[in-house]
Formats: sequence, structure tokens, C-alpha cells
Amino acid sequence: MRKELIVATSLTVTIIVLAYVITLGSGLGPLFNGIRPLAEVYLRTTLNPSQPSFTAMSPEGVTAIVWDYRGLDTLFETAVFYLAIIGAIAIYRGVSEKVRLNGAGVGLSMIVKVVTKVLIPINIAIATSIALHGHLTPGGGFQAGAAMAVIPMILIIAFSRYLLLDLKISKEVALAFRSIGLAGIALTAFVPILIGLLSGVNAYIMQNQLKADASFSLPAYLGDALVSGSLILYNISEYLAVTFGFSMIFLLLSIEEDIVKEQMRGDGVEH
Amino acid sequence: MELNIDLNAFLANISLLSLIAIIGISLYGILARPNIIKKIIALTIFTDAANLLAILVGFRAPPSQPPVLLTIKPSPEELQSFSQVAVDPLPQALVLTAVVIGMAVNLLIIFIALQVYRLYGTLDVRRIRRLKG
Amino acid sequence: MDLTYLLLAVVMVFALIATYLAIVERNLVRAVVYSAVQSIAFTLALYLFRAPDIALVYLPITVGIYPAAILFLIKKTEEVEQP
Repeated sequence: MRKELIVATSLTVTIIVLAYVITLGSGLGPLFNGIRPLAEVYLRTTLNPSQPSFTAMSPEGVTAIVWDYRGLDTLFETAVFYLAIIGAIAIYRGVSEKVRLNGAGVGLSMIVKVVTKVLIPINIAIATSIALHGHLTPGGGFQAGAAMAVIPMILIIAFSRYLLLDLKISKEVALAFRSIGLAGIALTAFVPILIGLLSGVNAYIMQNQLKADASFSLPAYLGDALVSGSLILYNISEYLAVTFGFSMIFLLLSIEEDIVKEQMRGDGVEH
Repeated sequence: MELNIDLNAFLANISLLSLIAIIGISLYGILARPNIIKKIIALTIFTDAANLLAILVGFRAPPSQPPVLLTIKPSPEELQSFSQVAVDPLPQALVLTAVVIGMAVNLLIIFIALQVYRLYGTLDVRRIRRLKG
Repeated sequence: MDLTYLLLAVVMVFALIATYLAIVERNLVRAVVYSAVQSIAFTLALYLFRAPDIALVYLPITVGIYPAAILFLIKKTEEVEQP
């Protein structure tokens, strides 16, 4: 341990001395003194009612880029997310999480369980508010899904994985909710084209607000509330997809190794 | 002691060099450490450092603010001043998805490592190499 | 001197030390904890870089989900890295 501390300290000192030497010369030039012209376009049009064919109608620049300006990128990133989780499930093919070991599933002490019970509703409320305000304040579907995916993990560690089975949250249920989320994303992407075909106006896939040659736009205001057209729908769908994608992984990862080996060996004999 | 240098640039250079050193150390971890779990840990640190470097490209010297408008009915003057102080939102949007997708891919790698342990009985790459079949 | 740069330098040096300890530590459980410490330092750095969105997504992922997944992996396999 002492050797590691000495090396870490000398590393830090080396970096500070190197930084001093670099700064004594002209340095690395002026740092962070401006942004690219493209970024200024995004910042000027993210919520700009006077330019209706460029704006995304959302005060949150990052969410506007994620789901409007560069929406197709995010769509295919979601496809990568889908495939990675499908790959993990494929490794666990033929393994059922419903088999129980005798004597297992006690969980941690009473204090931990009570504290967990108090914290879970707070966590759910925070995650849902992050998802629903994703187009107004920092946040969105990915952030909310990540915050929500912590809950099954805490439940598994504090109560054991059998609690999730007792609550009827199995691999199939998680897969179903995740498919609902992905279907929501796909539907929101295709809604402009469908409405455009039915009403005979020009519309593009993943269109949010009207463009120069497509006068179709999703409603930016619902009553008095700013909902930013498709952004809130994408955020809620992505929230579901990310939450239950990670939940499924944790359901599989928490299966005891004895059960997995037993079932995988059984598989090998059959074929 | 009198420091006759630009203190802001000095501190910024310390952070930049630290980030580069973190990338170097994690690359050493990926390439030279024998255990697969250690390789996964180093790989996550490397991804995080690369993401932080991408965010740093869009950074703007203080006083600056996040790319979030504080009003939902902005006037042209407010938009003008907003575009003069906000940082670049594009790298942030790209990194945002990269973090979540990277985590999903990491979980896939963890599952594959688990399967490797089931088949070979070890996670040491030197011993896996020696085992045939 | 700007407070952002000062805090940034402190946080990044902290992350550097945590990274070094995470890579050289032979006990993998301790290595994961050092890696989580590095992630906390990076979260602070992201906040200082005016990226609250990334900080929000980064904290639960790298301090909650990823150490838990690695700890599950360590529990099912081996805990000490052989020299």
C-alpha cells in the first residue's frame, strides 16, 4: 500500500510540474474561448417561435438535439441498446429464473429493509419527474431510465431476488414493458408520416415541428403547458425501455450460479 | 512565493494533463493486466475519460451556463445573450447516449466473461490461452 | 483565478489517483470501489463542465448499476487477480 501511495503522489507532482512548465511557455494556446458556429445555430433555434421551421420548441438544448435535430442517431443507438441486451439474454437461453433454492432469499437486516422501503417511492418520484420534465429542465428518457434501473438492483440486494418474483416481475414481464417502450418510440417516429398520408400533406419520419416544405407539426403546447411535440413522447418511451432493459439484465445476473449450471448442463444432455 | 503565470491556464492544464494520464493508465490496464475483470474496469475508465474529453471540446470559459434556456417565452435579446454564454450542446447529446449504450454493451461483456468462467474455470487470460479447446 | 478551474484541477487529480489505485489494486472488490470513487470525481467534473444532463445519467450508471454488475460477476467468479 505504501508503494502505491508514493507512486500516486509522485504522479501528481509530475503532472503539476509539467503543467507549470507548459504554462510558463505560451501554453496550449487560449483554452475554451468560444464554440463552433453549428452550436450557435442549435442554441439560437432550440426554442425560437419566430423561426418556426427551424425550432424544436424545447428550452433544453440537449434533449432537442437528442430527439429532434439528430433523432435518427438516437433511434439507431436505441437499436444498439436493444441488441446488446438481446445478446445478454441469448447467453442465458434456456435458463429459467423461476427456480428457487431452498433456504435462500433471506436478504439483509430489518433496518436495511425498512430504509429501502422508505427510499423506493422517493426514487420512483424523482425518476418519473426527470422523465416528464425532460424537455424543460436537464433530464430525459435516458437519465430517468438510469435512475429508475437502480431500484430493481437495490431490491435484489436488500430483499433477495425472490421478492421480484413474488411481485410477478419476471423476465417476460420486463421484456413486455420494454417492448412497449420501443413500440412507443417507433410509433412516435411514424406518426407524422401516417397523419401526413391520411390528411394529404407532406411529412417526414421523426418530424417534430413544421419544416420549409412540410407544413405538418405536432402540438408544442397542450393547453398552457409546453410539451414540445414529440419530445415528451420519446422521453416517456425511452424511460420505459431503459428501465426494463436494465431490470431484465439484473434479474438474469442475480440467478444463483448453481441453478444456472444445472440448467445449462441439462440443456447439453438433451441435444 | 510569487507566481507570475496565468493561474487559470495553469489549473486548466493540470486538469487536461490529468485526463491524458488517466487515459494512459487505463490503456495500460486494458493491455497489460491479465485478469478479465480488471480489463473490464479499465475499459470503463477509458470510456469515461474519452467521454469527458468530448465534453471538454464543447466547454466555454466561465462565466458560462448549461445549454438550457431559463425561460419558456424568450425574447430575441435573451436568445442572443444565451447563445453568447451557453456551452456547446452537441457533444453533450452525443455523450448522453454513449454513456447508456456503453453501459448496456458493458453488461453484455460481463455476461460473456461469466460464460468464459463457466467454460474455462478461470478469468486469467494467460491460463485461458494455455487451455486448448 | 476562477473557482471552476480550481475545483476542476482538484477533482481531476483526485480522479487520477483513484484511477491509478483501481488499476494496480490486486483485490478486485477494492478495485471496483476505487473505480466508483473515480466516477464520483468525474461526475463533479461534468457538473463543472456545465453538463447537468450527463451528470444526471452518469451518476446512477457508474456509481449504481456498473459496480453492482461487476460485484455480481466477482461473487460468481474469482476475487483476487493473480500476479
